[in-house]
Amino acid sequence: MTTSEAGQGVSGPPTEGFLEVPGGRVHMFRGGAGAPVLFLHAAGGAGRWHEFHELLSRRFEVFAPDHPGFGGSDGFPELEGVDDLVFHYLDVIEALGLERPHVVGASFGGWVAAELAVARPDAIGSLTLLGPAGLRLPEHPVADLFLMTPEQVVGALFKDPARATALFPGEPGIDDVLAAYRDMTALARFSWHPFLSNPKLERRLHRITARTLVACPADDRVIPVRHGARYAELIPQARFSQVDDCGHAMYFERPGDFAAVVTEFLAKVEAGTQQSGASR
Amino acid sequence: MKFVFFHLMPYPFLPDDFDESYPSPSLTFPSKYFDRELGNRLYHRYLDELENAEKLGFDGIAVNEHHQSAYGLMPSPNIMAAALARRTERAQIMVLGNAIGIRGNPLRVAEEIAMLDHLSNGRVVSGFVRGIGWEYFASGVNPTRSRDRFNEAHDLIIKAWTADEPFQWISSNYEYRYVNLWPRPVQEPHPPIYIPGAGSTETMKFVAEHGHTYMSVYAPTPLVRRWFDGHRQAVEELGIDHDPVKSAFSVPIYVAETDEKAHREGRQHIEWLFHRGLKQSFPQVYPPGYMSPGSMRGMLMSGMKPYTETSYEELLAGGYAVVGSPETVTARLTELQAQLGFGQLIGLFSIGDITSDEMNRSMELFANQVMPALRPLGVANRVTAAS
Repeated sequence: MTTSEAGQGVSGPPTEGFLEVPGGRVHMFRGGAGAPVLFLHAAGGAGRWHEFHELLSRRFEVFAPDHPGFGGSDGFPELEGVDDLVFHYLDVIEALGLERPHVVGASFGGWVAAELAVARPDAIGSLTLLGPAGLRLPEHPVADLFLMTPEQVVGALFKDPARATALFPGEPGIDDVLAAYRDMTALARFSWHPFLSNPKLERRLHRITARTLVACPADDRVIPVRHGARYAELIPQARFSQVDDCGHAMYFERPGDFAAVVTEFLAKVEAGTQQSGASR
Repeated sequence: MKFVFFHLMPYPFLPDDFDESYPSPSLTFPSKYFDRELGNRLYHRYLDELENAEKLGFDGIAVNEHHQSAYGLMPSPNIMAAALARRTERAQIMVLGNAIGIRGNPLRVAEEIAMLDHLSNGRVVSGFVRGIGWEYFASGVNPTRSRDRFNEAHDLIIKAWTADEPFQWISSNYEYRYVNLWPRPVQEPHPPIYIPGAGSTETMKFVAEHGHTYMSVYAPTPLVRRWFDGHRQAVEELGIDHDPVKSAFSVPIYVAETDEKAHREGRQHIEWLFHRGLKQSFPQVYPPGYMSPGSMRGMLMSGMKPYTETSYEELLAGGYAVVGSPETVTARLTELQAQLGFGQLIGLFSIGDITSDEMNRSMELFANQVMPALRPLGVANRVTAAS
C-alpha cells in the first residue's frame, strides 16, 4: 500500500502500509468497510492484524496503526509523553481524512484514547476503553511489566497461560528480542514516570462528550478492574462491562468476546447517530 | 603500571535461603536483612582497608555508587571519599563513579567533587557512570533518557568546574538559569575523569574525544580486548598517541601463599560476587531504552552468559577474576596485560564474603610480591618507568 492509498476507502482483506505524518511514517493495517474505527493497540500487539481486528472489520472499517516507536512505525524520537501522542493521533486522523472516527483503545492505547477524548471531545465519534491504563490509583497498583521476565509477563497477562503458548510458539530469535525491546523502550519513554498514568487525567475526564464504553477483563492481574470502573464513574454516562474468564491479554486471550462487546456498542452508537440525523 | 585498590563494600550476610528465595540482592531484596550492628562494623572495616591500601603502595583508592542493594553499600560515594580524604595523604581518591544518569541535580555532583578536591588537596579522580539498570527502577528516572542525561550532565559539570563567569544552561533534561560554582576544584582545569565502557562504540569515542580514562567492567578477556582496542583506535583516529594508563582494567584478585590455598579459600568469595552479588534478571540490568539498539544487538550476539551461569573455573579461564599464588597471579596478570594493553589495574580485593584476615593477607602478598613485578608494564614509551 502506498501512502496515497492509505487515505482511500478499501474493503475486504486488510492492507498494510505506511502513512506519512509530521515527524515520520506510521505503519498501519486497514481492513473492512463501514463506519471508521481507529484502534489504538496495547503495549504488546503492534505490527500485527489480529483475529480481533478481523472480527471488528466485518462491520466497520478498522484502522490499526502502530504507535510511534512500536512495531513498524518510525521512532518519532521528539515525542516524549502521552500528551504528544494526542497531537500525533490528531495528525493521523487528519492525514486519513477521517471525520469523528470511533476510537477504541486497549490498555496503554486506552489511556491514549481517553486523553484524546479529553483534549478534543469534538473530534471522535465514540470512545471505547478496553482495560485502560492511565489513572493513578495508589490503592490499586498496576503490575510492573518493565521488571518482569518474559515468562512472568505471560503469567501476568493471561488468565490461562496455556493460551499464550499457542499464540507464541518457539524460542524467540535475536531479532524478536530486539523488536520486543524496541516496543518496551517506546512504552517506557511514554510511561516510565509517572508510571503508566497521568495524575491529572482523573479531573479532566468530565470533559468527554462522546458516548463511552469501558470494558475490562474480569481476571486482570496487570491493571486492576478498579481502574476501568473509575473511568466509567468519571466519564459522563459511560457504560461499563466485564468479559469473564480473561486476563489483561484481552483480545489475545478472548478475541471473539472482545470483538462482540465492541461491535455491539459501536452498532448502537451508529444506530443512535442515524436516528438523530447526525452524520459523520 | 598504576595500581588502584577498588572497593564495592558488599553486604555479605545473606540469609540461608537466599539462592532459592530471592531473584537478586538488588532492588527488591528486603532491607530487614541489613543487620544494623554487622553493617555498622562493615563500614569501618572497609574504610580501614581503603586507608591501608595507601600504606601498602597503591596509587589510588576507589569507591563507587550503588542503590538499594547488598551488592554495594555506597549510595553516596562522595561521603566515603570525604571520610578518606583527611585520613590519607598520597593516594588518589577515586570516585568510580558518581551515577550522574540518575542524579536529579548534576550540579550537586560538581559541587561535592570540587569540595572533595579541596579536602584531599587535589587528589580526587571523578568517575562518571550511568548507574546499573536496576537503579533506574530505584530512582524513578526514565531509562530511555539515560544516555542523554549522562552526556548532558557530563558536559554541564565540566563547564561548571571550568567557567570563569556565571552561565545559563538549557538542555533537553536540565535547565539552570544560573550556574556559578563555589568552590572551584583545586586541580586545573578539573579532576581527571574516568568512564566505564561495556562495548558501546559511542562510549569509546566519547571517552577518546574528551581524553578521559576508559575502564572495563567484568567480562571475558576477548570482549575486554575488543573494547580496549576500540577505545585505543578511537584515540589514535584523533591523531593522539594512546597512553596505556588511560585503559584501566578492572578485575577481582585473590592471592594466597600457594595456588592450592588460594583456590580453596578464594572460590567461595569469587562465587559470592558473581553468583549472588551479581544475580539479576535481564530486565533488572537492561531496562527498556537503557541500551541503544546497536549495543543490545552486540550484547546478544556476544553470547556472553549471565554471571550466575558462569562457573568458577570459567570465570578464571575467562579472565573475569584472577586467583593464585603471587607467582601465578603475576604471570596471569602479565599475560592479560600483554593481551589487553592496559596501563592501570583496578583490583577488587575485598571480594564478596571474604574475611578481614584473608583480605589483608591477599593484599599484602599482592603489594609486596606482585606489584613490583608488574610495575614496569603498561607504561607509555615516552614516559620513563620511574614516573
